[in-house]
Amino acid sequence: MKKIDEKILLETALEVVKNSCTGIAPDAMELLKRAHLKEKNKAAKKLLETMIINAELADNMNKPVCQSPGYPVVYAKLGGDLKLEANIQKVFQKAIIELTKKNYIRPSMVHPITRRNPGDNSGVGVPDVEVELAPDSEHTDFIISFKGCGAELANVQRVLTPAQVGKEGIGIKKLVLESVVKAGGIPCPPVAVGIGIGGQIHYASRLSRKAVSVREWTDTNPDQELAMLEQELLPAINSLGIGPAGIGGDTTALTVKVEMVSTHTAICPVAINFHCWTARRSGARIYSDGSVKHLFKRK
Amino acid sequence: MSKKNSLISPLKNEDIARLRIGDVVNLTGIIYTARDMAHIRIMEHLREGKQLVENFRGAAIFHAGPVVRKKNEEWEIVVIGPTTSMRMEPFSENLLGRIGVKAIIGKGGMGKKTQRALTKYCGVYLLSPPGCAVVQSKSVQRVLRVNWLDLGVPEAIWVLEVKDWGPLIVAMDSHGNSIFKEVSEKALARIPKILDIK
Repeated sequence: MKKIDEKILLETALEVVKNSCTGIAPDAMELLKRAHLKEKNKAAKKLLETMIINAELADNMNKPVCQSPGYPVVYAKLGGDLKLEANIQKVFQKAIIELTKKNYIRPSMVHPITRRNPGDNSGVGVPDVEVELAPDSEHTDFIISFKGCGAELANVQRVLTPAQVGKEGIGIKKLVLESVVKAGGIPCPPVAVGIGIGGQIHYASRLSRKAVSVREWTDTNPDQELAMLEQELLPAINSLGIGPAGIGGDTTALTVKVEMVSTHTAICPVAINFHCWTARRSGARIYSDGSVKHLFKRK
Repeated sequence: MSKKNSLISPLKNEDIARLRIGDVVNLTGIIYTARDMAHIRIMEHLREGKQLVENFRGAAIFHAGPVVRKKNEEWEIVVIGPTTSMRMEPFSENLLGRIGVKAIIGKGGMGKKTQRALTKYCGVYLLSPPGCAVVQSKSVQRVLRVNWLDLGVPEAIWVLEVKDWGPLIVAMDSHGNSIFKEVSEKALARIPKILDIK
């Protein structure tokens, strides 16, 4: 059985962390370019154009696409005939510190109460690591997502009652639209809107972050009901007219991603997680023979 | 860009008063970065009657924390772009009224308190394209100095010289107008129709 030891994981982590910070995922770029073509508001079109140019420049010049790295989460899906012999959090933190020293990542992690900044993005529990066991899978995936914190400030969590959910989930749709309006320009639109529904609120919250962090923004939800909800919400959000940076326009959201799990008969937890337009997502897939394939690679 | 739309800092009331929401401008001169912790410390200084580290009369404050590197003992900006301005909403009255700031530059927009201060003291809120850090760092000529680095790189006050920095969009003007307020009110009114609720 092949091993994923610290050396292999660190090499992988360095590559995916750097790749995620110096550009945006190709699927997000595709949506941004489509939005730019369709946008009718002149100032909004100019902003979208600036965003596209900026992301391409970052990629070409090997620079951080945004000055703020946001906060990192690693999604690990452990499968394949592989033995993990490394601490995922420790190794990814090491990679993040290394790349902070090389000025790819601004030192942004601080103590939540004292606000002390150690200056190298070392910190308690950084990055967050979410592990999923996938014994039937033929590979192990590591996806890292740096998500900006303006977007984070706009997040909403609500535990609805069955009456508040309403017919065909209209209460959920209303909550989403109102949250997008309240968020305005704060989450750096055009955004991706992640919606987690069900479980208890912590479960819905985890799903909402994951929804905008591991899926390609151009994909279609395999669950037909959720796919329909995503397809209904995206044009609804865009008809609000919030626009890029919140200055008005046709492009408020690039995508809507909904994840659902069953809940208790008394409640309907809903978590709404905003992602700014800078989709800093990268990943690696390791197969049983030890070969590595990079995910969301730009070139 | 026409001369009308080129601003030079330090800014004067007449530079600000002629601006209207929707105008696209650029800025040349000195700017000061300031985020949450710098604002909190400025307020502490004001409360305690202590001298501030900079003279902010006519200043342009940029809500931003750069990525920097040191080259031969000199600081260099790797990239810089705006952070969420709304976090600094509680400080606008003092910033404009007491220390004389004229332009607040950031992203996401600000609220009623800032709108009142902009009108009362003739100030402007400029929107800098969010997430566009590489593009914007091209306008930075040099780092003049840094204050309060003990707050950490993002939260320190970086004093920068910029040239033709733009595009910056006038998003809140000194006449009581706010793009964000207009956009938000229209959007809120649309929700019942979108959901087909009578």
